[in-house]
Amino acid sequence: MAHDEKGHAGPYFMVFIALCVCTALSAAADMIQINNKLVLIVVVMSIAVAKALFVLTYFMHLKFEGNWKLVLLAPTAILAIGLPLALTPDIGVSYYDNLAPQADYTEHSPGVAATESPESDH
Amino acid sequence: MGLPIPNSKLGMWLFLGTEIMFFTAFIGTYIVFRLSCGPLWPTQEETHINILAGGINTFVLIVSSYSVVVAHEAMHAKNFAKAKKFLWVTLLLSFVFLGIKSVEYYGKYTHGILPGTIPENTTQAMSKASNDIEAAADAYLRSVAPAEAFEPKNDPTLIKAASAVTEETSKASAMAVATAATELKEHVRENVSLEVSLADAAQMRTEGKVPPALTIEEVQARVDVLQEEGAETEKYGGAFGGVLDPHPMTYGNLFASAYFLMTGFHAVHVIVGMILFWLVLKQPKLDENWSDWVENSGLYWHFVDLVWIFLFPLLYII
Repeated sequence: MAHDEKGHAGPYFMVFIALCVCTALSAAADMIQINNKLVLIVVVMSIAVAKALFVLTYFMHLKFEGNWKLVLLAPTAILAIGLPLALTPDIGVSYYDNLAPQADYTEHSPGVAATESPESDH
Repeated sequence: MGLPIPNSKLGMWLFLGTEIMFFTAFIGTYIVFRLSCGPLWPTQEETHINILAGGINTFVLIVSSYSVVVAHEAMHAKNFAKAKKFLWVTLLLSFVFLGIKSVEYYGKYTHGILPGTIPENTTQAMSKASNDIEAAADAYLRSVAPAEAFEPKNDPTLIKAASAVTEETSKASAMAVATAATELKEHVRENVSLEVSLADAAQMRTEGKVPPALTIEEVQARVDVLQEEGAETEKYGGAFGGVLDPHPMTYGNLFASAYFLMTGFHAVHVIVGMILFWLVLKQPKLDENWSDWVENSGLYWHFVDLVWIFLFPLLYII
């Protein structure tokens, strides 16, 4: 092996505890019912990223691996992030005001009763 | 000259690189769709998402990740008995994960949260309620009416089938079931309020008037009556007990597709991991030749955990 495995047993258990604490924090964030959606997203996704880094760094040993990890993982990470970024301008943040096409269908179809606006569904 | 790692480990990391892109395609697309749907995205109550089950499953995967890392350590320390013990723990936990997932899937099934079946506006909700009521009536009548009543197969009518029921005890229920289902179906098809008879509606049309339209509230109230929950006597013989309450869920199908696609592919990965662990565990005696296998299976398993780490907040909390 390229790295010394001995002496990592301590961190493993500490990482396990940290992951459990992070999971409890995520559940708590849901239970205290944060009304601001943006705050909720930032909190739970930050916790998820922290958990992912714990797993990658210690459980998957990336902390102890050579620089090959960067050569191998950087392109996939860039491509992985590129896909949602490429889709976001046209689909995620659409410039047109058409939030629920299926609700429009109800209102504009001849002979079909338009009984409520899309917002009243929620 | 080469990388200072075994070929098998390099292969596993290359594979995990493709896996990162595979899951990010799903997760990234889900995030983008979620952004585009804004406040109309279904709520946790509507989707019947079970955060307790998701949270327990997160914990189960974390424990299993820890147990597999301990097994890997034990392999390096040549403590093969300990390694085997912790691999068994991992395998057991993977069964627990899939068991909880199955309970969640069953909940989705019973609440009708399935891709392509969720009404997204009131018209679709009324139409689905009518179809569900008709299907329930058909199933009930098939259990009490003789098979000949459903011939010819291309022209079965519920009223005709109910008329063929000879058993005195179910005769009245059969006719009530057939009448109720047929009436609702026709009112939905004609888009006429349940408070106006179809004959009166036809009369109004001949006079140039527009009959009042059917509303989702009327259909919901009618389905409540047909379900007979808490009723002392069963007029409809319990035929409609399993029919779901009709309500539209905007973007419900998109949610259901994303949910089942992501959690389904994740579950497939869990099953593959179970096979990898089983192949080690079925060996009568472990030795250092299995060390790389355990390490690579462990890397794979941590990746499975990693995916769930993102699926849990995205699907269950946000």
